[in-house]
Amino acid sequence: MNARPVSIVALIVRRLVQLPFIVLAVYTLTFILAWSVPGNPLENPEGRRPPAEIVEAMKKQYKLDDPVAFYFDYLEKASGIGYLRGTTDRVFDLGPSLKQPDWSVNEILATGLPVSITLGLSAMVMALMLGLFAGLVGGLRPGSIADLATQLVSVIGISLPSFVIGSALLMLFAVKFGLFPVGGWGGIAYIVLPALTLSLPFAAYISRLIRFGMIEEMGSDYIRTARAKGLTRARVALQHALKNAFLPVLSYLGPATAVALTGSFVVEKVFAVPGVGQHFVDGVLGKDITLVMGVVLVYSTLMVVFNLVVDVMYRFVDPRIA
Amino acid sequence: MRLLIPVIALVLALAAVVSLDRPLPPADFVLIDRSDVYTLDPQRMSYQHELRRARVIYEPLVNLRASDCEIVPGVAERWELSPDGLTYTFHLRADAKWSNGDPVTSEDFRYSWRRAILPDSAADYSGLFFSIKGAKAFFEARNAMIKEFAAKHAKTPSAAEAEALWKRTVELFDSTVGLHAPDARTLVVTLDAPLAYFLDLCAFPCFSPVHPATVEAFVSIDPATGRAIQRHDWTKPGRIVVNGAYVPTVWRYKRDMRLEQNPHYWNKDAIVAKTIECRTVENPNTGVLSFQSGAADWLTDLGPEYKTEMLAERRAYLARFKAELDAGLARGGRVDDIVATLPPPGDGERRDARGFNAFGTDFFSFNCRAALPGDRFNPFNDARVRRAFALAVDKQALIDRVTRLNERVASTLVPPGTIDGYPVVEGLGYDPERARAELKAAGWEDRDGDGIVENAAGVKFPTVDILYSTSSPRYQNLALAMRDMWKRELRVAAECRGKDSKLYKEDLKKGNFMIARGGWYGDYGDPTTWLDLQQSQNGNNDRGYSNPEFDQRLAAASGEADPALRLRKLAEVERWLFTEEMPMLPICNYVTVYMYDPVRTGGMTDHPRLEQDLSILGPRRGDAPPAKEPAP
Repeated sequence: MNARPVSIVALIVRRLVQLPFIVLAVYTLTFILAWSVPGNPLENPEGRRPPAEIVEAMKKQYKLDDPVAFYFDYLEKASGIGYLRGTTDRVFDLGPSLKQPDWSVNEILATGLPVSITLGLSAMVMALMLGLFAGLVGGLRPGSIADLATQLVSVIGISLPSFVIGSALLMLFAVKFGLFPVGGWGGIAYIVLPALTLSLPFAAYISRLIRFGMIEEMGSDYIRTARAKGLTRARVALQHALKNAFLPVLSYLGPATAVALTGSFVVEKVFAVPGVGQHFVDGVLGKDITLVMGVVLVYSTLMVVFNLVVDVMYRFVDPRIA
Repeated sequence: MRLLIPVIALVLALAAVVSLDRPLPPADFVLIDRSDVYTLDPQRMSYQHELRRARVIYEPLVNLRASDCEIVPGVAERWELSPDGLTYTFHLRADAKWSNGDPVTSEDFRYSWRRAILPDSAADYSGLFFSIKGAKAFFEARNAMIKEFAAKHAKTPSAAEAEALWKRTVELFDSTVGLHAPDARTLVVTLDAPLAYFLDLCAFPCFSPVHPATVEAFVSIDPATGRAIQRHDWTKPGRIVVNGAYVPTVWRYKRDMRLEQNPHYWNKDAIVAKTIECRTVENPNTGVLSFQSGAADWLTDLGPEYKTEMLAERRAYLARFKAELDAGLARGGRVDDIVATLPPPGDGERRDARGFNAFGTDFFSFNCRAALPGDRFNPFNDARVRRAFALAVDKQALIDRVTRLNERVASTLVPPGTIDGYPVVEGLGYDPERARAELKAAGWEDRDGDGIVENAAGVKFPTVDILYSTSSPRYQNLALAMRDMWKRELRVAAECRGKDSKLYKEDLKKGNFMIARGGWYGDYGDPTTWLDLQQSQNGNNDRGYSNPEFDQRLAAASGEADPALRLRKLAEVERWLFTEEMPMLPICNYVTVYMYDPVRTGGMTDHPRLEQDLSILGPRRGDAPPAKEPAP
């Protein structure tokens, strides 16, 4: 037991040392891909065309004429080295968006990230509730109609892509019944459908974890003992069995939340949610290199840090992992 | 209990982020655009929805009245033109104020126009200022200075040298460009030559002033290239200072923008909606559904999937009330005002969608270059071949079966009726017989009976390469339909090549096509906004059409001093262009489809230039839409 705090510190240190290398690898790979997209991001396909000198001068200003210079310049400013050296006045300067020149990538992330995080967290809360409910229903009465029904739904949830589920939910609940707004953002009502769409695969997985856990726990000796002592089935299930059946969900929750936070691109597009995902897709299509690089840098950093936080939390919650 | 900690953490985090995002109170008028504005910097704008917003955020010297596109006073309360037509003297009104209370001065205009002319700003519309005396020379001189500086200082940046260069530039501007501010309320503009539409230009949003102190804080001189580098952060709410009817108070990236009445605006009594919310909804389906659920008053761009059907429903509705509509129109009423008094639409009818002929023309470009890339033979270098291909297209059939918006067939570029005093010009129509004759005259006929035309040497007509962008199914369908027409009428082999809009643009620039999709919207109320496209040196001349005779004819006509004669001469140039030269194949004038309920919303103009004025849109007041100040 005494060794645990040391190991947590070691874990944190190790991960933090790894962080820059992981992010650098992701940055380099993304840079190569983003640069090889054809076209000039400063030009709008339907727009007027400025004279050639101006196009050249602008390319120079944004270092679009020299990939090597762009690579190092961007890295310097984004990593904070530029701030220390005084070449930029933002600590982590992710540059101006090439497509939307009035916006810096920092500002775009500042407006988009809270939206994406809200969506991701709501989806996880929903996934937990749905998964718990479906898992309990199935796990307490394996083989029953209710069990088969929840299993069927969870298979659908896992296997159907979110753009199909999203569009179907949209048609049904927004267009046909008019219960929710069609798209956009601005209050709880706007969150429900996209969060539900995003949550389904996670909910399905959680329900399966709970179901198997419950079936296993309910057949174990300590449950039989508890029942023999006269506790009701419901109390045994919820107080004792669920506690242990929930542990695998907990391990799953960490990475799943990271995926939900960073993986809502498609759902954002379907529901016109102004989150980072949608901006990222637009950035890729429009060769907005600074935006693409900025989002990738922030998200890969977030992903590493989030995984670290989750690992630390596990050790606290479940001593067996340490 | 420890098990619950992560779950609680999750819920708390969620509650925290949700509480950060408070919805705004409802606005008086809500519109939905398909895309967010790229910039709120008036000198760097170029898109219609941006310019529309700029018209109510900034105010230029003069305004374009939406209802009839007449020039009415803006910041300038009056102006004089010297007898030689070269010097405009604008007198600025005393109560013109910035949104921070500063007075709007003539120096502000000089600063802003200089900014637009400076190549450093990379403004799309620098060229519009070149009619001002010395502006073009200044632009070129500054360009040369930068080029020289960059070559010299690329390795040895020098802030002092760059500053000195900037100082020389400002001195050059002050001493050579015909733009003077004798006092804070007088602006004197001298032109190179009389320009009939100069006031129309002055009403264009790129001629609006920006607040110099606000903008200047974000300008720096680059010691390596000598350029004045601008950061654009000043356009954000909280920082931005404007002189128009509205101040942007919220701008959330690709989500929404809120405009609130500018308390310092001199003409604020003419404003209808106190607050305007401009939402961005990129998905056309979502846009329509939002409008139909009542979340918006105006959908500015109806998605292509809906247009045909909704316009048919509108026609059905209007057909039922034809008598009332005709009677109202005969009394001089406006369509919206009459429709608003009619009973509500029944099943299969609607009045909340309306199509307008836009100030834009849909066309296909012929590649007029001597050869295709790789020195391949280009049959379209020959005007006879271009005429043949134009004559072989049945445009009415394209409109009836492909575009299906009941557009107006176009045989020339300038949309008829959009420019006062400009005659309707007829170009080549549909005449397959003559098309074959033209092709034969160019040496192409089917000599061996294999169904493909050959020249005298027996060489087959090369497979026609039709380039279109896949951004909209419209262009693919048009290209396919025309391919079949050309195959049938002219006996040529043709292939359509769809490309993503970026690649399409690359091919256009390289001249890698024979026939390519194009389109153009006019910027100001003069035929040159259209005809300039065919100039040899024009940056948007995708056709590579270069004919000194045309350049010279256009220059001569456009330089004519008598305004009426000038328009007639320009019309003659256009007629010649579209009956003889045929660098492009006009198809139709674009139709813009709005969704708005005329019962609820008033102030929408149907003038063919379609310059909607956001400050007069909004709930009907029960009388005619309010007009800004009458023309002087």
